[in-house]
Amino acid sequence: MEDESHNNTLPNGFNTGSPESPFLKTSTTTTQHNKEQDRFLPIANVGRIMKKVIPPNGKISKDAKETVQECVSEFISFVTGEASDKCQREKRKTINGDDVIWAITTLGFEDYVEPLKTYLQKYKEIEGEKLSIPKQMRSEQRLQQHHNNYHDQNNQPFNGAYASSNLISQPPYVPTDQKFSLTFSPNSIQSQLRQQDQIDSVGHWYE
Amino acid sequence: MRQAGAYSGLLCGGVSGRTGPHSLPLARIKKIMKNSGEDVKMISGEAPIIFSKACELFIEELTRRSWIMAIQGKRRTLHKEDLASAVIATDIFDFLITLVSSSESHAVGGATNVMEVETIDCS
Repeated sequence: MEDESHNNTLPNGFNTGSPESPFLKTSTTTTQHNKEQDRFLPIANVGRIMKKVIPPNGKISKDAKETVQECVSEFISFVTGEASDKCQREKRKTINGDDVIWAITTLGFEDYVEPLKTYLQKYKEIEGEKLSIPKQMRSEQRLQQHHNNYHDQNNQPFNGAYASSNLISQPPYVPTDQKFSLTFSPNSIQSQLRQQDQIDSVGHWYE
Repeated sequence: MRQAGAYSGLLCGGVSGRTGPHSLPLARIKKIMKNSGEDVKMISGEAPIIFSKACELFIEELTRRSWIMAIQGKRRTLHKEDLASAVIATDIFDFLITLVSSSESHAVGGATNVMEVETIDCS
């Protein structure tokens, strides 16, 4: 009973949570997980594909996913070895797509060949579309540059207004202060004189 | 060369991201191919792409046959015992018998699996 309960709990927990979160508990487990990751396809991708072929109410235990991970890596090595042997017999150094398809056929997976060829054909079509994306990205970059130029042009009037100001002074802050004080009433000016900081600024202006 | 360059870009996860239109990461597949033997020197860009689909078909077939085993056992949760049963029952999965048997050796049913393996060897 306890074992069944444990098995029932695992799939639900791992299905809802991140597959990698359990491995963050200890460094040893993390190291082991990282090494395993180099040898297997990601368990999340494998789990997603497995779920496609079982009923919605079916569940997959974590040990089943891990076993399939190992089986897939073995499948890749098995087929690659056969393809590599063929390349060596034919004195070629590069394993290409046809070698993989030939090896898959030789090893008894004939049913895969037609879907693979269809997939490759569709991929090439997608690839053709993908190649146009960089051009669009370039257009976007040009638009951004144009926007920057427009922004610079907007800055010019501000600079022009500043340059045309008759109240020229080295400190940028002072002209604004002058303008601001000009709008003051005599009482406001007197109140400014009472403050030391303002007195220094005003004194400098008078000089 | 240009074609290879384009694929290399994809393998590096450039414009199309980690897996792009494929359900499995091409870089990982390529790494597993390289680790399959010292005689594996160069791999064209098309090979990992074909493998990404082939592995998907393989996972689907293995899972479907394993699910049949689970159903026969009156269960709705797939376990690795179901995978072992499916591997043993399917000829094209013979290359996996050692793998699933070794992973089962720690289970209670290890002895039974070993006997089954011996039976298959005799035939």
